[in-house]
Amino acid sequence: MKRPIAGAALAALTAVFAVAASAQDTIRVGAPLPMTGPLSPEAVKQQRGYNLWAETANAAGGVKVGAKRMKVEIVYVDYQSNTPRAVQAAEKLITQDKVSFLFSPFGSGATKAASGVSEKYGVPTLAATASSAQVYDQGYKYLFGTFTPNDTLTEPLSDIVRKAAPGVHRVAILARNDLFPLAIAQEMEKSAKKRGMSVVYFEKYAIGTLDHASALTQIKAQAPHWIFATGYTNDLVLMRKQMADLKLEAPVITMIAAPAYQEWIDATGKLSENVTSAAWWHPAVRYKGKDLFGSTESFVKRFQAKYKTLPDYAEASAAAAGAILQMAIEKAGTIDPAKVRNALASFNETTFWGPVKFGPTGQIVSLEPPVFQIQGGKPTVIHPAAIRQGELRLGVK
Amino acid sequence: MKRDALRAVAMFVLIALLPLAGDSYWLRLGTTMLMYGVLAISWNFIGGMAGYPSFASAAFFGLGAYAGAVAQKLGAPMGFAWALAGAAALVFAAALGVALLRLRGHYFAIASLVVAEVLRELVNAATDLTGGGMGLNLPIPRLASIEGQAMFFFYAMLALAALAFAAMLAAMHSRLGFGLRCIQQNESAADMLGVNTTLYKVAAFMLSGVFVGVAGAIYASWVHYIEPPDVFDVLYSVKAIVMVLIGGAGSVFGPLFGAALFLSLEELVWRNYLQVHTGVLGLLIVLLVLFLPKGLISLRRRTA
Repeated sequence: MKRPIAGAALAALTAVFAVAASAQDTIRVGAPLPMTGPLSPEAVKQQRGYNLWAETANAAGGVKVGAKRMKVEIVYVDYQSNTPRAVQAAEKLITQDKVSFLFSPFGSGATKAASGVSEKYGVPTLAATASSAQVYDQGYKYLFGTFTPNDTLTEPLSDIVRKAAPGVHRVAILARNDLFPLAIAQEMEKSAKKRGMSVVYFEKYAIGTLDHASALTQIKAQAPHWIFATGYTNDLVLMRKQMADLKLEAPVITMIAAPAYQEWIDATGKLSENVTSAAWWHPAVRYKGKDLFGSTESFVKRFQAKYKTLPDYAEASAAAAGAILQMAIEKAGTIDPAKVRNALASFNETTFWGPVKFGPTGQIVSLEPPVFQIQGGKPTVIHPAAIRQGELRLGVK
Repeated sequence: MKRDALRAVAMFVLIALLPLAGDSYWLRLGTTMLMYGVLAISWNFIGGMAGYPSFASAAFFGLGAYAGAVAQKLGAPMGFAWALAGAAALVFAAALGVALLRLRGHYFAIASLVVAEVLRELVNAATDLTGGGMGLNLPIPRLASIEGQAMFFFYAMLALAALAFAAMLAAMHSRLGFGLRCIQQNESAADMLGVNTTLYKVAAFMLSGVFVGVAGAIYASWVHYIEPPDVFDVLYSVKAIVMVLIGGAGSVFGPLFGAALFLSLEELVWRNYLQVHTGVLGLLIVLLVLFLPKGLISLRRRTA
């Protein structure tokens, strides 16, 4: 008698569907996140940003929708770092949990895969961590992203270096074989070649590599002027220390994304001096926003008060996605999806994240990602001009 | 055999009617269930019938996914890419089988487990072809609508599951099935009595690879984005085994029922426990295997 069992399971399933209650005076936002599996550290960051937004908005009485104020509720679903489950989670949130808005799953791939679902149901969706232009080229109307394409990080950097040090023309690139680190390294290669520099070394290292000595020795043999390395905090702490052991020096050393984290600067100490980096956002930038957080400084302060650490660009982007959604709802004066979508499409405001305006594809076009350099142990913004705090310094020892 | 075949036809027709009943969320669950069904049926060839505990499902799945995706990236039409993925998995299983099936028991299990890891590293390193750690985007099929796409992949997976099921039914009632059961009971004795054990085992291994390879390719087209840790996930191997164990190893309908029950459990637990769902699912599976060691199929025998 196998049928009763399968039947019971199905019946139980149906019962669960029915529980999805939706209170009238809350705005429900769905967030599929990779809470388990290899991407789980990223989920923690996204959740911090979303939660900070929701708590801040609710503490102020909620989001102003026309005449009344509505509280925010974020519905989380774990998609186990598995792309089809992310798509499934998005569909479940919309059809069964009845969320009105969606935050995309993590990264460009899963965002692209899930965007078809939110488009189908006409649910405005904010992507906080999708940078590839290919995510946004499907002609979808309901997807909006807070990251500019990857080349907006490497292009200004290359311009600055070219201008400050015309003699720099031998570039060595060492990249972590991972979604973003490898993609940004490939952009760097393009940006360098475009400016007539020669890429004398391009290699990738496996996730979890614990010794970079042989790669660095090969780089040293090439005598590059510019070393461009990508990876996260642990990778690049190790790499920077091994560079010093091997006496590998260069006029310019750029590392992405670790220098955006205070832990990296603390761990490498003096070795971090004059290392350049770029990110979509940095706590050192200064914008005066009209969103609920106000200025970048006050956002950073709130974040630090709650989590006892500095926010990075992924955490800030998640909070910014919430803040932007809130402003769009307030501007539309309703939570009607089509009207909020139009408010997002015509959005043009400054936030703590920077100026926000979405292009015809839905990807942000107004943001100029900061280029920064560790000077005197502190990250100093050297681009864009509007928020510049110092000039590029050459020579990394 | 005839009765089983008729029942199976009735069942697949019933499943084929699912799009009429449910919304597209059910369609998505149905597609996943059929994919799980293909994994379970395929494992039944080598694990259920021959008794070789293979952990190679993830390797075949990932291989098929990447073979199909790379072929499509290079301009092959979707149907051709799927067939190519099946062929790749078939050839790979044959080559692998000749090498690995000399091992027995735990040794075979460990060796088959490592295959997926090796393939994952290879795919990771071949950045130019596969995108490496960046993953691979597939062209989105230009079908009428998003609902149309969902429907298309559901029926593609259904056809594959039906094909795999038919192959299993045919194998069970042929010399091959008989030989495999002999191997399971006592390989040395079977060998002595004139069963060509190597040939049979490799054939079973190939059958356990080909459908999983095609399933991988369909999956890749369905989600149109794959990355190495996603498709070479060891859980594909483990889930296949668990589903067959839940359903009843070596039986005809066991793998399919196992897949259906496993998916229902997975979905139920996933919905209700945000943080600890993996743990709860594991616990449920342990309980099921403890109290129903021969699987769901044994319930019928007990009451009959």
